[in-house]
Amino acid sequence: MPFVSLTTTESLPVYLIFVLKERKCECRTPCTMQIILFLLYPLAFFSPRLILPALGLHVLLIARTAQQYERIPLIGMRDTLGFLAFAIGIIYTVAAWQRRRDLFTYLIIPLILLLLGAGLLSPSSMPGPLPPVLRTVWFDLHVILSFVSYSLFAVGGVFGILALSRYEPFAEASQYRCLLLGYVLFSIAMIFGGIWAYYAWGTYWLWTPKELWTTIVWFFYSFYLHARLVRGWQGTKVIWMGIIGFAIVMFTYVGVGLLMKSSHEF
Amino acid sequence: MKKFFLSLKTTVWTLLALICIFFVGSYMMPMHQGIFSPMNDDLLYSWAERTALGNLCYTWWFFAAVAGLALLTINTLICSIQAVKEKWSRSNALLRISPQIIHIGFLFILLAHLLGAGWGYKISGALPEGTAAQLPEKKALYLQAVHADIDPRWGPRDWSAEVTLIENDHPVVSGTLGPNRPLLYKGVAIYMKSFELEPQPYAILLVVKDPGAIWALVGGILFMLGSFSLLALKWEKA
Repeated sequence: MPFVSLTTTESLPVYLIFVLKERKCECRTPCTMQIILFLLYPLAFFSPRLILPALGLHVLLIARTAQQYERIPLIGMRDTLGFLAFAIGIIYTVAAWQRRRDLFTYLIIPLILLLLGAGLLSPSSMPGPLPPVLRTVWFDLHVILSFVSYSLFAVGGVFGILALSRYEPFAEASQYRCLLLGYVLFSIAMIFGGIWAYYAWGTYWLWTPKELWTTIVWFFYSFYLHARLVRGWQGTKVIWMGIIGFAIVMFTYVGVGLLMKSSHEF
Repeated sequence: MKKFFLSLKTTVWTLLALICIFFVGSYMMPMHQGIFSPMNDDLLYSWAERTALGNLCYTWWFFAAVAGLALLTINTLICSIQAVKEKWSRSNALLRISPQIIHIGFLFILLAHLLGAGWGYKISGALPEGTAAQLPEKKALYLQAVHADIDPRWGPRDWSAEVTLIENDHPVVSGTLGPNRPLLYKGVAIYMKSFELEPQPYAILLVVKDPGAIWALVGGILFMLGSFSLLALKWEKA
């Protein structure tokens, strides 16, 4: 496979089309929709509200995949990276609705494109219906809330970069709100995951690397909230914590599955 | 001493220490699977006594984590009591109790782990159709039938097992097990882990008695309620 430079967002769709042709991708329609997404998301570079067509198409893509496989499309790296990109897009829309195009957009949109690209290059998601053990509302809620909280942590990390670069005076406050909401949703996702695990395997907690890292994420944001709300930490220290927190989240999501064997993998 | 347990510095540094300890644990577990695999199959206390104590060079992080959680428990408890006392007269009721509800929820979840680690039982084994197995507490489990719906393309679509729980030689409850469908009876939960239809149908069943499970649920509910309330109250404190 020849080397293709990925230095510009324009070359990424071209590279992906090339890769898909090479792979003779089976999921032609969803993949085509994903490539169109690569062209639509960058419209937000002109105005944040122009992200709406991309989000609309992304909803259709998720619905199409759900219809095709008769299940919630949140199994495997391809599905989940795509959903994470979508969730970040939704939070970006809310956060950027009153903004003009600025550094916030210039950081978030490439992140969305990066996640979409990584998803498209990931192994095809599990075809066919869900395994019976995953067919429960507790699983759906656990996964959806987990990824919504991940996306809040991601946007919180980006606000942290804005705050560090002194680009925006209230970026630290926006980071705090993202992390507070993300923490609450993440905690609920863990509780729902525990309920599901109890119904499926007779335990609400398993000692595996994935669970340990999930707990690390939870401890880390508990640490952040206690430090900020009760000890009154302010400024660079808490901003960096928000950025480091997102790095821990991404390692928990991607790194643990790749580097450590765990029963709790995508 | 009271000052140490009351200090928020203790909370923050204990959380940081636990993050480091769990980080070490996550690397140790896949490297020494022979030691850590039985951790989820047995009661945690039995595993700690039989396996972990004899392999301290690999399992020290587990004991450090238990010590860290114990410290966090005492710290949470004392801080919560103090916070309620101090703020009782000078802040609104919801702001006063929301963090404490979260803390109580967290403590219930830890209590659940403690109860589940030391008491109850976990038994699993293969049971052929039409046979029974003895369980603790003068109970027995009878497997009537195993059913499976298998899609030739995608594999098992659904499976189930009809079982009866017997106590003191009398059937007390019957039901159908399946994926995410355990049979629950007075704190005992029966699960169908796997099955085989040929040459003779049998099911691999798991029987769990976890006295902590109900407290984990109570803790989870309290944690959620407190979190929602705190979210509403602290949203503006940006």
